[in-house]
Amino acid sequence: MTFDPTILAPYLGDLAAGARLTALACALALAGGLALGVAVALMRTSASAPARRAADIYVDIFRNVPFIVQLFFLFYGLPEIGLELDAFSTGVLALSLAGGAFTSDTIRAGILAIEPGVLEAAQVSGLPRHVIYRRIVLPIALRTSVRPLGAVFVNLILTSSILSAITLNELTGAAKIVAADTFQPFEVYAVLLLAYVTLTYAVSLSAGALHRRLNRDRSMGNG
Amino acid sequence: MRYTDFTYNDILLLLQGLGVSAALFAVTTLIGLAIGLTWAVLRYYRVPLLAQFFAAVAELLKNSPVLVQLFLVFFGLPVLLETDITPVQAAVVTLSGNTAAFIYIIAVSAIESIGREQLETARVFGLSRWQTLRRVVAPQAAAFGLGPLTGLLVNQLQVTSLISVVGVLDLTRVGAILNLRTLKPFIVWAVVGLLYYLMAKLIAKSCARLETRLRAHTAWKGL
Amino acid sequence: MIHIEGVVKSFGAATVLDGVNLRIAPGEVVSILGASGSGKSTLIRCINGLEKLDRGTITVDGFNVADPAQLQQARRCSGTVFQLFNLYPHMTALQNIALAPVEVLKVPRREAEQQARELLASVGLADRADAFPAQLSGGQRQRVGICRALAMKPRYLLLDEVTSALDPEMTGEVLDILAKLAAGGTTMLFVTHEIEFARTISNRVAFLDQGRLLADLPTAEFFAADGGMAHPRITQFLTRLSKS
Repeated sequence: MTFDPTILAPYLGDLAAGARLTALACALALAGGLALGVAVALMRTSASAPARRAADIYVDIFRNVPFIVQLFFLFYGLPEIGLELDAFSTGVLALSLAGGAFTSDTIRAGILAIEPGVLEAAQVSGLPRHVIYRRIVLPIALRTSVRPLGAVFVNLILTSSILSAITLNELTGAAKIVAADTFQPFEVYAVLLLAYVTLTYAVSLSAGALHRRLNRDRSMGNG
Repeated sequence: MRYTDFTYNDILLLLQGLGVSAALFAVTTLIGLAIGLTWAVLRYYRVPLLAQFFAAVAELLKNSPVLVQLFLVFFGLPVLLETDITPVQAAVVTLSGNTAAFIYIIAVSAIESIGREQLETARVFGLSRWQTLRRVVAPQAAAFGLGPLTGLLVNQLQVTSLISVVGVLDLTRVGAILNLRTLKPFIVWAVVGLLYYLMAKLIAKSCARLETRLRAHTAWKGL
Repeated sequence: MIHIEGVVKSFGAATVLDGVNLRIAPGEVVSILGASGSGKSTLIRCINGLEKLDRGTITVDGFNVADPAQLQQARRCSGTVFQLFNLYPHMTALQNIALAPVEVLKVPRREAEQQARELLASVGLADRADAFPAQLSGGQRQRVGICRALAMKPRYLLLDEVTSALDPEMTGEVLDILAKLAAGGTTMLFVTHEIEFARTISNRVAFLDQGRLLADLPTAEFFAADGGMAHPRITQFLTRLSKS
């Protein structure tokens, strides 16, 4: 029984390329998921019952169906309706849709946690609704949600490994090739595991630091 | 009837896949519960070294993709241990371990949310650690942990879909087979998604019922 | 002119306002007194549209608050200062004050910020323009709240128990500013427990008891034995308050 991680050395370039693809896909998916999540959170907290219902259904579906099934649905299904997307785009789309469901939970919690008095003050000063959302509700909700959103980002990174199933050569996909080449799957996948752990820790720590920075001097209770 | 059409046999295939997914979910959940709770109890007893070791393992499993864990077990272990391992065996080992890690985290958190004073009071009354665990800690921890447990179980059900990637004939794999044969991805993946969705809802509902029964059991019935 | 006519407001089974009629003309300083739960805050919240009326009408300078199309304009005529300050926690004092003028009155940002600085200076907070609410004391926050309301140049200033959440020292700071505003001719309608303060600066006192207006008199008359004080409920209230 030997463990020799040095056999990976010649493949670091390929693995780095895979890591870059993972990072890019996840960053895009985070942006997309955040935009979607904000929209859905607003729908879920809106006064309109149909909007709430539609948003709740979307979140319900994307949280109770496995990601790989969502991915295959899009990857094999979209070409049928004439949408020929490459693996990367399909992957980012799938991650964004799933991410949107999870971020909407967080943002919704952030919106509901805003002190009602603050919203009342905004209303009575004559501010129109869209300005209240843009300048008051969303900035406050997003600021308090940084840590939980970091957890969602971590989740996206871990889920992105599934994109290897549609032949995308992100980090896991690249590692599969290396494992096949070297006939040393244990070393390769062990290192891969550690790589993801490092990545997720880095993200969590950054989220914590960002949260502290954004909320410095700003968090308070009344009175 | 053309070969690419659906047949009644396909319904049987789907049910078979469903059965495999459900069975693997049930088995790995039970094993995971057993292992995870044992870890948590060992930590409660402050067994040195083991407690830290399990905590570290749990962190690793929590912060890395399940797919990579699966590859490590299915592709890596056989080479390391110079033995063969079937897809089902790899699935059971990986999912049980993964579930165990999350159960451990939930259990530890639930135990910790029980106030220190209760444990001290029990001690003062002469209860042994085991008696305290059985009579004071466990019932309350179970009540605290049931909520997160429900979320975990629904999530682990989704995770079972990944075993299709290493060849287990679960619901997702059947979906892939049907997709390839009928070339009707929308129908196939929608049905597969729906079946997972229904299973998830079933789990959530069962847990909710368990929760009400647990609550009723510990409810204050008056003097 | 604020017209309050026949206003009825209930929360579930409790009728909090039971047929209130009141008029506030520009330049007046009116205080609303009454026991807790008598409906005082609710009345203010009806005027600025935070609560919907069950019956009756309220118009502010002719704009009917019950009509969604007119509510925005009605709101522009008044400014509200809250008991719990309700400052925007993610913005500095300056930004709190300048937000509405920029977004609603379309004042250019630089001008709005300059005016905000002047307002802050007038309440003694010139050096705290860039502080966040979390860094300010209660009294300072309330002073910023007053500036924020004044920044919109409202015709009527609505003040809802603005010193109830402050300790005595901070209460004094805020009352001084309100006295200055009253002396300067600002129309004010305030709900308060500070009887002495009400007596000193208001022209008129309205007394609410269980949702009904028991008295609506010029200040001197209200506190006279043969005026408002002749009413047993009012005497009871005032004596109880002076004991505490």
